[in-house]
Amino acid sequence: MNIYLVEYAINSLLRQKYKTIFVTVILTTLVFLLTSVFFITNSIKYELQSTVDALPEIVVQKIKAGRHYDLDSERVDDILEITGVNSAVARVWGYYYFANVGVNFTVVGIDEYEEQYKNSLNLIAKSLDFSTNSMFVGEGVKKSMSESYYKEYFNFIKPNGTLKKMNISGVFEGDTQLESNDMIVMSKENARDIFDMSQSRATDIVVKVANVDEIHTVASKIRLIFPDSRVITKDDLKISYQNIFDYKSGIFLALFVVSLFTFFIIIYDKASGLSSEEKREIGILKAIGWRVDDVLKEKFYEGFIISFFAYLLGVFLSLGFVYILKAPLIQKIFTGYSELKTSFDLPFVFDIQTLALVFFLSVPIYIAATIIPSWRSATLEADEVMR
Amino acid sequence: MIELKNIIKRYEINKNNTVTALNGINLTVKEGELVVLKGASGSGKSTILSLIAALSKPTSGEVIVDDKRVSKLPDNFASDFRRDNVGFIFQKYNLINSLSVKENIILPLVPMNLHVNIVEAKLKRVLKMFHIENKENILVKNLSGGEQQRVAIARANINEPKIILADEPTANLDEKLSMKFIDILKELRQQGKTVIVATHDPLFFNLDIVDKVVEIHQGLIS
Ligand SMILES: Nc1ncnc2c1ncn2[C@@H]1O[C@H](COP(=O)(O)OP(=O)(O)OP(=O)(O)O)[C@@H](O)[C@H]1O
Ligand SMILES: [Mg+2]
Repeated sequence: MNIYLVEYAINSLLRQKYKTIFVTVILTTLVFLLTSVFFITNSIKYELQSTVDALPEIVVQKIKAGRHYDLDSERVDDILEITGVNSAVARVWGYYYFANVGVNFTVVGIDEYEEQYKNSLNLIAKSLDFSTNSMFVGEGVKKSMSESYYKEYFNFIKPNGTLKKMNISGVFEGDTQLESNDMIVMSKENARDIFDMSQSRATDIVVKVANVDEIHTVASKIRLIFPDSRVITKDDLKISYQNIFDYKSGIFLALFVVSLFTFFIIIYDKASGLSSEEKREIGILKAIGWRVDDVLKEKFYEGFIISFFAYLLGVFLSLGFVYILKAPLIQKIFTGYSELKTSFDLPFVFDIQTLALVFFLSVPIYIAATIIPSWRSATLEADEVMR
Repeated sequence: MIELKNIIKRYEINKNNTVTALNGINLTVKEGELVVLKGASGSGKSTILSLIAALSKPTSGEVIVDDKRVSKLPDNFASDFRRDNVGFIFQKYNLINSLSVKENIILPLVPMNLHVNIVEAKLKRVLKMFHIENKENILVKNLSGGEQQRVAIARANINEPKIILADEPTANLDEKLSMKFIDILKELRQQGKTVIVATHDPLFFNLDIVDKVVEIHQGLIS
């Protein structure tokens, strides 16, 4: 490498202070936005994947007048008879509207000796005191409740208007951040009490199947036995989750294309419009014996130094923004799965692909935008400098 | 030896308009000669210099320097030719104002990627020759006109070219500085360089060091 040429390139950048600062700011912002969006979408995709993985294979609901309705928990026994079914658990759960904050909590009831349909619930089942009115809450719930000064306990209002006091005995983290945030876990008995449900009733039934290929066969058998049921498989759920996500990232993508486009116009304008000063300089260099490719090499160094610096700066800023500051503002767009307005942690998903993609969208494009006009200018007859 | 044979140079202003800058120039400058091109503004002096330096190409005719047909050289070879053979002194000096004296002078060497010691030696030589030793690290824009010209001359000589081309070298100098410039020309001639000066400054027309004064009139030698 030619140190003199690199030195000249650096000098040249320092000489054009304002242009250099302007381009660095624009490029850094572009890289920052690009990487932040990619980092966030990747993190959420990862979350989503874990959420979907944790979903039950089959959920059986009862439909009455076209709406989801309580069912008789004895249906579990009939479902267990079906060949290929590993386990079937009647769930008691529902939404509780917390008017003070204007959000819905998800209340889930569990049994002490029952096998839980989720790992996180197994852990809670071990530490929850089933004999008293105690509950475990998610981080988001804890936060909302504290804001309304319910720090130790919470008063649920039952359908008949009476209060039911439940002690907060712990805060949990779920399998995934996205869904556990708004969750409250308590004994089935207490949950039934809050929802005014009788002992023999359940909200739905969760079925595990030994062989993934048999999910659909089992699902149709359940439909045969209970014609009033809606049978939802993991695939169905996956699609609806994916839809929400795709919709949100669609908004992003649109925003994104617009800003990318704007940036390129600005950059192109800045980089390609050689000032008469710059043209004169190229003329001088050629007149004193520089070749076209010497000029281009120098321009390449200039472009590379500035754009690679901006790239690194943008990536580091974005890492800080997404994983240290937790992506304020941007994250809101994505976290609408629950009504809860509290934040969740973005899992750190570091992938070379994102960085490479952003690199190719910024560095080579900028270098090209600087080299092409210089090349045009350098290949013209250089006798302009004579005047 | 520099030979211009039947040089015609036209510039296209637009589709229907061309300007004929040179209209059949024949000129020979022998090695070691000091030749002055004189003529009114617009007569074609600068055009001749840029053709000799292969900065532009004639519309027809040939420029031959030491048996090399420089008017036919592809762009990169033309650059190499300038780097190795030609030192150019422009009227407006054409220095890069925000660079230091040193940085300006070594500019022609930058693409050559020479060893630091060689660069320093070459630099020392011209700094001394043109009396700007103590100005090495000063920014060019902070120099006086005469000093700037000496920097330009030093830059033109850094690569020890055989040919020096000077375009209106005294246009921005007072009489005293112009005389100093003529001293420098004397010295360059003593070193055996071929020097061509394009000027309409009468100071050059009766110098004993000048071998030949060529008058250009509307693109022709008169
Ligand atoms: N790139 C160009 N495009 C168009 N016309 C040009 C170009 N270069 C030179 N000319 C024209 O060619 C003619 C000769 O120009 P040239 O610069 O050689 O004259 P000159 O003798 O050096 O004049 P001066 O003393 O003013 O420097 C002029 O009419 C000029 O306008
Ligand atoms: Mg001229």
